[in-house]
Amino acid sequence: MSDSGSGRGRRDRTYAPDFLTELFRNPLDPGYEDAARSRVAGAPVWPARSVSAVVLVVVGFLLAVAYRQTVAEEPGRAQARAGLVQQIREREEESDRLSERADALRDEVGRLRVQALGGSEAARLRELEAGTGVGRVRGDGVVVRLADARDDQDAVTGAADGGAGPDRVIYSDLQRVANALWGAGAEAVSINGQRLTATSTIRSAGDAILVDFRPVTGPYEVSAIGPGEMRQRFEGSAASALMRQVASKTGLSFGVRVAKDLTLPAAAEPRLRWAGPPVDPSPSGSSESSGSRTSPSPSGGGR
Amino acid sequence: MIAVLALLAGVVLGLYLDPTVPAALQPYLPIAVVAALDAVFGGVRAKLDRIFDDKQFVVSFISNVLVAGLIVYLGDQLGVGGQLSTGVVVVLGVRIFGNVAAIRRHLFRA
Repeated sequence: MSDSGSGRGRRDRTYAPDFLTELFRNPLDPGYEDAARSRVAGAPVWPARSVSAVVLVVVGFLLAVAYRQTVAEEPGRAQARAGLVQQIREREEESDRLSERADALRDEVGRLRVQALGGSEAARLRELEAGTGVGRVRGDGVVVRLADARDDQDAVTGAADGGAGPDRVIYSDLQRVANALWGAGAEAVSINGQRLTATSTIRSAGDAILVDFRPVTGPYEVSAIGPGEMRQRFEGSAASALMRQVASKTGLSFGVRVAKDLTLPAAAEPRLRWAGPPVDPSPSGSSESSGSRTSPSPSGGGR
Repeated sequence: MIAVLALLAGVVLGLYLDPTVPAALQPYLPIAVVAALDAVFGGVRAKLDRIFDDKQFVVSFISNVLVAGLIVYLGDQLGVGGQLSTGVVVVLGVRIFGNVAAIRRHLFRA
């Protein structure tokens, strides 16, 4: 028993003004002391001993239920997470497998085509494929590197260049650089490993830059394969001058270097677009609306 | 002895029956457990102090659980979230800690 017990025995059961101190000093319910005192005084003892047992059964029950509940809740959370991770892994593996298979099939198609066509025809086809971005190409060229400005200079002041300074690479920068590279004689251009074709788009969606509807993130590397004097021509272009000025004004980084033996991947298979008269009453083309059978209906959606 | 047996019987009963707690009562379960633990440790300490009283034990258990649940409910309704239940846990935790310390002094004389 603590020392405070004897001191407060005389007092009536009133809560001390400093409740917390009292709580720390004497955590036992004061009721127990009162009951003990009244028992000594000869008051009738509460008869129901079994009620305590019932309460204890309830307490045990409560503990077990709470335990069960906690155990039952835990795997739900962990399972959901593990399941998602598992799904991501599976999908990644599947995607890797499929892209490997696509590569193998593409090689096979190329081989068969070389067999079927004559040597000169195949060479011409390869040339065209390389030019249009459908085939993988390799050669010397330049790599233009653009990166967002580090945002450590405006972490305190909020903005380094009056708030509106473009210290991020924006889609038009990439557009300008890509166009300047084409203008400088590039034969093949890719952005972060994403090959550009004649129908490629470079657009922005919110903060992200989309190349052919696939997001690319900084630092951006625009690789181009072309003739040896491409670098000088690019450096002399308006786009390069503008980017250099932007880079010197903001913290943006912009660099051009000559690269040997670049390999640019093939672009995604282009969607072929064709026109033809619908043959069956309910053609699958989505543009069929007025039932004009003979007019050619474009299918495949304009890109 | 009877108390320990009753407690064990309750645990076994709970594990055996495995009841499902209604979703509306789930937030009150942890608080109820803490309140029940406070009542149990208070009872054990009173027993060791030789001032245990059945009525006090039963009433303190029921009122602890009810008041704790009520405070959590009130906190939910007032929109103070879990902060009132934090208060309940702190007060009951201090009491549990103090009572366990007293039990320890009784058992080990240290």
